[in-house]
Amino acid sequence: MDAIIQLIHVSKWHDRKAALSDVTVEIEKEEFVLLMGSSGAGKSTLLRMLIGEEQPDEGQIFVHGRNVTKLRPTEIPSLRRKVGAVFQEFRLLPKKSVFDNVALPLIVQGTSEKDIRRKVTEALRAVDVDHKKDQLPNSLSTGEQQRVCIARAIVNGPVVLLADEPTGNLDPERTREIMELFKLINARGTTVIVATHDPHVLNHVNRRVLTLVQGVLLSERRIGQGV
Amino acid sequence: MRRLFYLVREAWANMRTNRTTTIVAVLTTAFTLACVGIFLLLYVNLRNAAGSLQEDVKVMVYLEDRLPRERVQELERTLKIDRMVAEVFFISKEQALGEFRVQFPSESHLLEGLGENPLPASFVVTLAPNFRSPDAMKGWVERVQTMEGVAKVDYNQEWLSLLAELIGYIELAAIGVGFLLSAAAVTIIGNTIRLALLARREEIEILRSIGATRTFIRIPYFLEGAVLGACGSALSLGILKFAFELFRQQIQLTGRFSGIEGMISFFPLSVCLALVIAGMGLGFAGSVVSLLRVGEGRA
Repeated sequence: MDAIIQLIHVSKWHDRKAALSDVTVEIEKEEFVLLMGSSGAGKSTLLRMLIGEEQPDEGQIFVHGRNVTKLRPTEIPSLRRKVGAVFQEFRLLPKKSVFDNVALPLIVQGTSEKDIRRKVTEALRAVDVDHKKDQLPNSLSTGEQQRVCIARAIVNGPVVLLADEPTGNLDPERTREIMELFKLINARGTTVIVATHDPHVLNHVNRRVLTLVQGVLLSERRIGQGV
Repeated sequence: MRRLFYLVREAWANMRTNRTTTIVAVLTTAFTLACVGIFLLLYVNLRNAAGSLQEDVKVMVYLEDRLPRERVQELERTLKIDRMVAEVFFISKEQALGEFRVQFPSESHLLEGLGENPLPASFVVTLAPNFRSPDAMKGWVERVQTMEGVAKVDYNQEWLSLLAELIGYIELAAIGVGFLLSAAAVTIIGNTIRLALLARREEIEILRSIGATRTFIRIPYFLEGAVLGACGSALSLGILKFAFELFRQQIQLTGRFSGIEGMISFFPLSVCLALVIAGMGLGFAGSVVSLLRVGEGRA
């Protein structure tokens, strides 16, 4: 299999403290990877680097064949259109309906009206919130809001889906549902990377686990069958 | 299409969300531009008035007494073929006396005692429109003054120079005040856009994370600035028009400065449109300044 993400000797310092220290790792196409580590371990920094929100102080990062560290500012939007992102705090626009929130990445790309309707409906159906498409995000439960956020991340068919603490605000049952959803998305061919500090997530996912401790990639293990 | 609709809707949403700030920005811009407009209106009207007054300015070329008829005809020919001259009209000594008696009937007896008619023959010269500036007129007068048979050339040089000087000062003031107040309008609109940017920074962050380009993020703010500028400018024209009509009415009612109401006029429609477009440009500049200073990513 080909590597869709490559980090080569990546280091990053925040206020003279190493956020990431000499991290080298490859993630293959259609892989499901859990990025474990406590708060401040460097998980979010690593994910932010993959969408060009931060640049490493040392090393190279390749995503879908493009060197992220060499991208011009004008090229970053096209990278972000290939990499969907889900956040713990959902980041939904409160004054826009669920449909409009999910449609946003397609509007940004200039997708036709007809395709927007079709793709948004499909994405909402995939995360099982299509019946709430006309509601405002704040009227939904936290689990539903996270589903909407996932729908927005997958609506334009990204090659990679990044999730930063996606279950941080959810109870165990909702956590299980969301992880099942990620597995489903992964099964459809999208590379999924979930960053979490919650070891209980491991109960739901039997895949490759990368563990970060104070910016250092300490262990890399594969759990479960067929991986 | 949906993209365009989205951008326009976002600009509209920005203005609705920050309704008070938007209204204050439009009103302040309107009053600021109205101040510029007052100078502009004054300048345009004075220029028009000066233009029509200059059209009426006649140069009197007085001839020496007892000048042979051939020399008078020769002078008339010379003046008529001069490219700076539009019209030449000869007034004989007798005609001059007749006019004096008509214009000053009570003083006509003064001339009786002198016996011989003391008034000189003259040419009344109207200069071509391109040569009615004070400098051009002065040059022409100096040249004609040296011609043989010409006793004196007279025109209201001082008055014309004063008017030109006054127009020059008003032009300078209009440019200075216009520049300063336009900068103020840019700052006011810029601050409004800055507030909108700050209010929506989270939304901007979301747009950036899903791959929106800088242009896509900025367009609603550019639109907002342009709309604020255009609204402010249109409102300032409304205020000016109202004040102008009030002024004209007052003149008619009081009867003071009678005749002036026919000479003054408001901006023509084309100038009004140009001013609204200029306001739009100022608003757009305000957005650009704000986005350059704050930046949509760091707002």
